[in-house]
Amino acid sequence: MASRVGPIAKAVLKELVIIILVVIWLIPVYAIIINGFKSNVAVVSTNALMPALPFTLTAYQEAWSALAQPLLNSLALVLPVSILSSILGALGAYYLNNLTRSFNPRDRIIGNIIFALVSLGTFLPYQATLMPLAILMVTINLLGTYWGLLIAYLTFYLPTGALLMSIFIATVPSYLIEAAKMDGASDFNIFFKVVLPVTMPGFISTLIFIIIESWNNFFLPLVLVTNPNSALVSVAVRYFTGGFGTLYNASFAAAVLASLIPLVIFIFLGRYFIRGLLALGGGAKI
Amino acid sequence: MVNITVRNVTKIFKSRNKTVVALNNVDLEVKSGEAFGIVGPSGAGKTTLMRIIAGLEVPTSGEVLFDNEVVSKDGKIIVPPEKRNIGMVFQNWALYPNMTAFDNIAFPLRNQKLPEDEIRKKVKEIAEILGISHVLSHYPRELSGGQQQRVALARALVKSPSVLILDEPFSNLDASLRDGARALVKKLQETFKVTTLIVSHDPADIFSIATRVAVLVDGKIEQMGSPLDVYNNPKSLTIAKLVGEIITGKGVVTTVNGKKVIKYGNLIFQPAFEIPANDSEEVEFGLRPEDVKISKDEKLEGFEFAGKVIVKVSSYSGGAFRIVVSPIENEEIELYALSDIPMKVGDVVNFFYRKDKLKVFPVK
Repeated sequence: MASRVGPIAKAVLKELVIIILVVIWLIPVYAIIINGFKSNVAVVSTNALMPALPFTLTAYQEAWSALAQPLLNSLALVLPVSILSSILGALGAYYLNNLTRSFNPRDRIIGNIIFALVSLGTFLPYQATLMPLAILMVTINLLGTYWGLLIAYLTFYLPTGALLMSIFIATVPSYLIEAAKMDGASDFNIFFKVVLPVTMPGFISTLIFIIIESWNNFFLPLVLVTNPNSALVSVAVRYFTGGFGTLYNASFAAAVLASLIPLVIFIFLGRYFIRGLLALGGGAKI
Repeated sequence: MVNITVRNVTKIFKSRNKTVVALNNVDLEVKSGEAFGIVGPSGAGKTTLMRIIAGLEVPTSGEVLFDNEVVSKDGKIIVPPEKRNIGMVFQNWALYPNMTAFDNIAFPLRNQKLPEDEIRKKVKEIAEILGISHVLSHYPRELSGGQQQRVALARALVKSPSVLILDEPFSNLDASLRDGARALVKKLQETFKVTTLIVSHDPADIFSIATRVAVLVDGKIEQMGSPLDVYNNPKSLTIAKLVGEIITGKGVVTTVNGKKVIKYGNLIFQPAFEIPANDSEEVEFGLRPEDVKISKDEKLEGFEFAGKVIVKVSSYSGGAFRIVVSPIENEEIELYALSDIPMKVGDVVNFFYRKDKLKVFPVK
């Protein structure tokens, strides 16, 4: 009997641990959602985990009317930023990969230097470069414009894309690239027909990562956006907190609305994200 | 088709604290339309040589010519691999996992920007020849090893290459499929008359496909000739072992009746030539299994009697009984022979060999 109970008990225990972890993780999410449906008084006067009674949509309506434009602004910025950063980053990563696999020792040194610069671009805290960046934007007359913001975002997320993709591209077996060379493919074709498809899960992981990171970026739009009509969602959610008080219910509703888009993207592409992470750990078996 | 000339090629790999000479002054000529084999132990530089010819590696010094055009010289690639018109079959076939068999085979043609209907026609033609028409819509992961290899061959041949390079093409195949695959490659080579370079550590690959072979040991070409010539007249024991099975032993040179012979226990071996060693010097002798017989008979046509031996082990492998024997006067040392009948352990039998096939090598 003991041998039959053993595995069942183990499985139950495992499930239990998972359930506990999920509950712990879901509590704040639940609180955010539920408090958005309360009145502002109810948020401060009732327990955060209490259901919303009476149930009201006022906060969501309020948040939506304030966030609709910033959501669009963010989408219009984040999509080009993440797609450009991922594709250009991947191309750069492939070039770096070629340099480091080159016969010529000089190429390998150049490759290493560029790689170090790219890493620096990724790891440098962008808060530290914010002032010079703002001054630069003023000088080139792009402060407060869409293009200025796009350039600023690309400055930080393109190296991230290149760094992440160079990790994924390094897992592409060199014989595949060599086979494509022997088959007469140009570098452009090797990249788009062989390297990119083979690293697709990694590419999509990179894309998701950059979407989420740039969507949540707060400092860049805080400093570089000057016109309230162009505000991005990460800054706009702060509108409900002022110097004299906070609209808690609207803040919660805004937080939910602001995370919906990255959440939807993650749900649709999440399986690639996980496959990409697996590829990092398990070599090139994609 | 193309004549490949490798002239004085040396390849040195340098890492932080190690220098490895992978190829040492290699000279080679592969004639147009010829099937040329490169055989050698692992680490001898076979793959490096092949990669240098393919343009995937650069020679440290020396040059490679296709016909009269220098394609690589002294640390520089002059004609890049994609311009050399080489069809290559990689050891693990290197099929593109994201493409169907059809797209894999069509890839080289698409790179040449041929019209799509011509591509379809060519792919179908080559697939027909290789018997893979029914799997063209499958992805590599859905194909068996043999089919994957045929797809790789088709991809290499579809663009009518000037040179076909095969890197250990059969080592990932099941033993039962290898003979068929070898026959297929040989047939294709003869049909397309393409200059072919086959690199392998398995002599069977070389014998079945190549008309000439170079033996590469420690980065140097030790011997070149027809496979049969290398098999029959190997310059060293290492080469002898590389191109086939060989029965060897260390014997002592002695003069009997004014003639130098090799004594191995009570066995006496006398080659058809003068042994290039002095009396009481040790030499290594070698005999191919087909040149040795053991029997209870006193005489065997075409064979020379070496002495009496005692059976120590009798086992069966690959269609013959493998009998391990020792000279009766010295059971410490052993030889083996193949026999079509099993023998009883402890039996004393006569050891015969073909005099003209006896090989003698200096002891290293």
